[in-house]
Amino acid sequence: MSTVATTSPGARFIDPKVLARVGSLELAARIVVEGFINGLHKAPYLGVSVDFAEHRGYMPGDDIRRIDWRLFARTDRYYVKQFEADTNTNFSVLFDVSKSMSFGSRGLTKLDYGRFLAACLSYLSHKQRDRVGIVTFDEDIVERVPPSAKHFDVTLHTLDRMTAGRPGALGPPLYKATEFFKRRSILVIISDFYDEPEKVLDAVKPLRFAGNDVIMFHVLDPAEVDFPYDESSSFQDLETGRKIPVVPDKLREQYRGLVQDHIEALTSLCSQNRIDYAFLNTKVPLDPALFKYLAMRHKMTKVR
Amino acid sequence: MSFLTPLLLAAIAALGVPVLIHMIQRQRTDIVEFPSLMFVRKIPFHSMRRQRVRHWLLLLLRCAALALLVAAFARPFLQSAALAAVTGGSREVVILVDRSYSMGLANRWERARDAARGVVRDLASDDLATLIFFDSGAQSGARSTTDRASLLAAIDAAELSAGTTRYGPALQLAQGILEESEQPRLETVLISDFQRVGVDSAANTLLPPGTVLTPVSVADDTESVNISVAGASVQRDIFSGRERATVTARLANRGGVPVESLQVALELNGRELESLPVTVGANSSATVTFAPFTVEDTAMPISVRTEGDALPHDDVFHFTVSAGDVVPVLIIGSPGAGEANLFLVRALGIGTSPSFEVTVRSVDQVTADDVAEAAVVVLNDVGLPSGPNGAAITRFVEAGGGLWVVLGERVRWPGDNLALLPGTVDAPADRDGRGGALGFVDYSHPVFEVFSTPRSGDLTSPRFFRYRPLDLPPDASVLARFDDGEPALVEHAVGAGRVLVWTSTIDSFWNDFALKPIYLPFAHRVVQHLADYNQPTPYLTVGQVLDLAQYPGAVELDLTSANLVVRDPLEERVNAGDDGRAGFIELSRPGFYEIRDTDASDTGLVRVAVNVDLDESNLEPVDPDELVAAATGRAGGDREVTTERELAPEALERRQTLWWYLLIGALGFLAAETVVSNRLSRTELDPD
Repeated sequence: MSTVATTSPGARFIDPKVLARVGSLELAARIVVEGFINGLHKAPYLGVSVDFAEHRGYMPGDDIRRIDWRLFARTDRYYVKQFEADTNTNFSVLFDVSKSMSFGSRGLTKLDYGRFLAACLSYLSHKQRDRVGIVTFDEDIVERVPPSAKHFDVTLHTLDRMTAGRPGALGPPLYKATEFFKRRSILVIISDFYDEPEKVLDAVKPLRFAGNDVIMFHVLDPAEVDFPYDESSSFQDLETGRKIPVVPDKLREQYRGLVQDHIEALTSLCSQNRIDYAFLNTKVPLDPALFKYLAMRHKMTKVR
Repeated sequence: MSFLTPLLLAAIAALGVPVLIHMIQRQRTDIVEFPSLMFVRKIPFHSMRRQRVRHWLLLLLRCAALALLVAAFARPFLQSAALAAVTGGSREVVILVDRSYSMGLANRWERARDAARGVVRDLASDDLATLIFFDSGAQSGARSTTDRASLLAAIDAAELSAGTTRYGPALQLAQGILEESEQPRLETVLISDFQRVGVDSAANTLLPPGTVLTPVSVADDTESVNISVAGASVQRDIFSGRERATVTARLANRGGVPVESLQVALELNGRELESLPVTVGANSSATVTFAPFTVEDTAMPISVRTEGDALPHDDVFHFTVSAGDVVPVLIIGSPGAGEANLFLVRALGIGTSPSFEVTVRSVDQVTADDVAEAAVVVLNDVGLPSGPNGAAITRFVEAGGGLWVVLGERVRWPGDNLALLPGTVDAPADRDGRGGALGFVDYSHPVFEVFSTPRSGDLTSPRFFRYRPLDLPPDASVLARFDDGEPALVEHAVGAGRVLVWTSTIDSFWNDFALKPIYLPFAHRVVQHLADYNQPTPYLTVGQVLDLAQYPGAVELDLTSANLVVRDPLEERVNAGDDGRAGFIELSRPGFYEIRDTDASDTGLVRVAVNVDLDESNLEPVDPDELVAAATGRAGGDREVTTERELAPEALERRQTLWWYLLIGALGFLAAETVVSNRLSRTELDPD
């Protein structure tokens, strides 16, 4: 633990494998986040305040509690006060717990990696008084914790006990999840996105179009990226069970090319649809992911 | 080549086994779990397999061994064609060429001969061929010969006949040749214009199994004018004491083109008597009547001829006209009972072919001369005259004359001439009420034959109220009986003559028979039968055999004479009697045959008119496949398929011995495979 708490510049890059040994998720998240924040010396992306922006004329349907009565007293007209932003926004993790996420070539599965990532992000958000929730899904919604300021623990608990067992699909569960987020939220989707890029985007777009800010974390194991196998073997698809005799030497280059193409296609399509996308290799520490998240929060403040 | 168990050939798929063994090395049993094979599946298949064949020789040996094993189990055998090819191949070919006169239309005959020549030229050196020309009969030259020159010469020498098309005899002849043949392949080529008229004759012919019957049609679809003289009738009358004949000819147009102003000529002995124009519509007929001419005593050769058309054989019709025959009839009746003869005299007074010369005498006036001049004597309700007249009548009958005994009220038969009657006559018997009717009639007898067909006279319509019962011996020839079983008409042979006994009257006293329409033909038939009269035949048809002994015009000829000369229409002498059967002439040409005995100056010339069979003029075609189906017993479309002939078991076994060789070959390959694979294994285990 003391090792992790070090303030040395490289200490914040904690190997996820080491992180996996930490039993408590909250602790692990705190280790990562606080180490991460400490390393920044300054947190330029934090401190989003509640600032008054402007008045606007009352429209039927506006909450009458937001009417500025003082202004009404002066002008005899109804005005509604508008603020820069709500500091405590909704934050939800949409976690893919399909069978393929249970893969890990280095002792750390993608599920574990995603678990830490989700815990860290939730912790960060919770620290900012955001409402935290989680939705786990495979081919359907598995579990749902609605965003709430009080649900941080439940969220962590859900993250802790979730397992990957069934085949997955993106479209149906995400479409169903769209209904859960009536209020504008920050949605973090953690998945390995094993589907055609167009289909992935088709599944994610409804969330984006509902006004949510969506960040896709594409988690892959190094073996999935590099295809380091040598012996010709029968490869079995974890989700479908289908077996294919494979001679890795013959197809490694092609495989790597296809994976890169997939990532590039997702990057491009997400960019076109104003969806944040980050590719994460589980051999890489969580910091880039956190950076990505914070950068997005920062961007949100800029846009507004 | 074919296979007894072709389904086993599916096992050839087993060839994939060695290929797989060679292409895919031993699969690893450990399985690598991978999150998703989405990208792996996108990579082309060949890069995932181990595609390098390391031991080509081994692979080929294994494949060859498997292929031979599969082929051996499929039991290959050689079909006849293949066997024929192996053994030098020989066919038994029967070429049937139609030479009926319809082949004379346009250029059919030339095309048929060309087709036959083509078949002969296509024969292989060891093929056996038989050439058969057929019309209503079939003639073959040398049977099963390999001499193509003689076959071609026979085709060149062949001529059209005047016969009709009948496929049956030709196919039967071919059937006999093919059944006797030892050749492995049987073929028949039928070259014809395929007229429908000849098909029925082929109904009972079935060529041997495996025979390929190839029809070659020389008929064409072009519409051509085809007028035929379908017949002629002669109307006789007496003018200025001389008999005259009026000829009416019937012309048929079987084509689809109407013909106008066609000249039709009446010829006597080759000289034209009269020519008339006539119009015949398409597919219809017309008649033309010529001016009457005086009939001579001898048979006059008459021809009706039209202008030539595409089919000339049926454009002329030959027949003979001779003076009408007269049958003298003597009716002997009771004195003063003239009315009893009235109906018979009137009935016999009608008719020209033959005409009846009736003499009526009462029983007390009749003389022996009267009897001698008659051909038929009718005893109408009188008994046999006593004395010399009765004896004359008895002699007349015994010499071949005809006697009609009509049993009426007055008949008293003298006891010494009972031989003329078939039995004894009883007293008249009455039938009450509506009277009796004829209950049994022997329609096969010449007297009643004309009534045998439907609507040709109701013999049960006359009512009989009285008759004279006859007491007959059991073997008596009863031609008709009343409905109570008593005889009505009885025939009795006496010497060379014959006696007919009618047990009722032939007037209207005891029955109403004389008032019925059937009375006249009945009386005519009875008298003609008793007179042994035969209708002269105006013409015969090509293909018939003329029996001079039975020909009415030639009864006076001495058929045993060595000087009997018969000439056909082309004036060529025809042999009139082979191997002791004198007087038989095969009629093969249309026109007039002339027969005379050069030694006997007193006997005249006998002319016989011969016409082609007009059925052949009907050019309606039949589908050749229909004929093929009838002759081969299978659909025409299958004619290209050579079915297997019945073979001896040894021959069948010989054809199926291929599997032995295949099996031996497979074993050889497997042995080689063992050697090679062992050597390869050793090399791999010990590279040094």
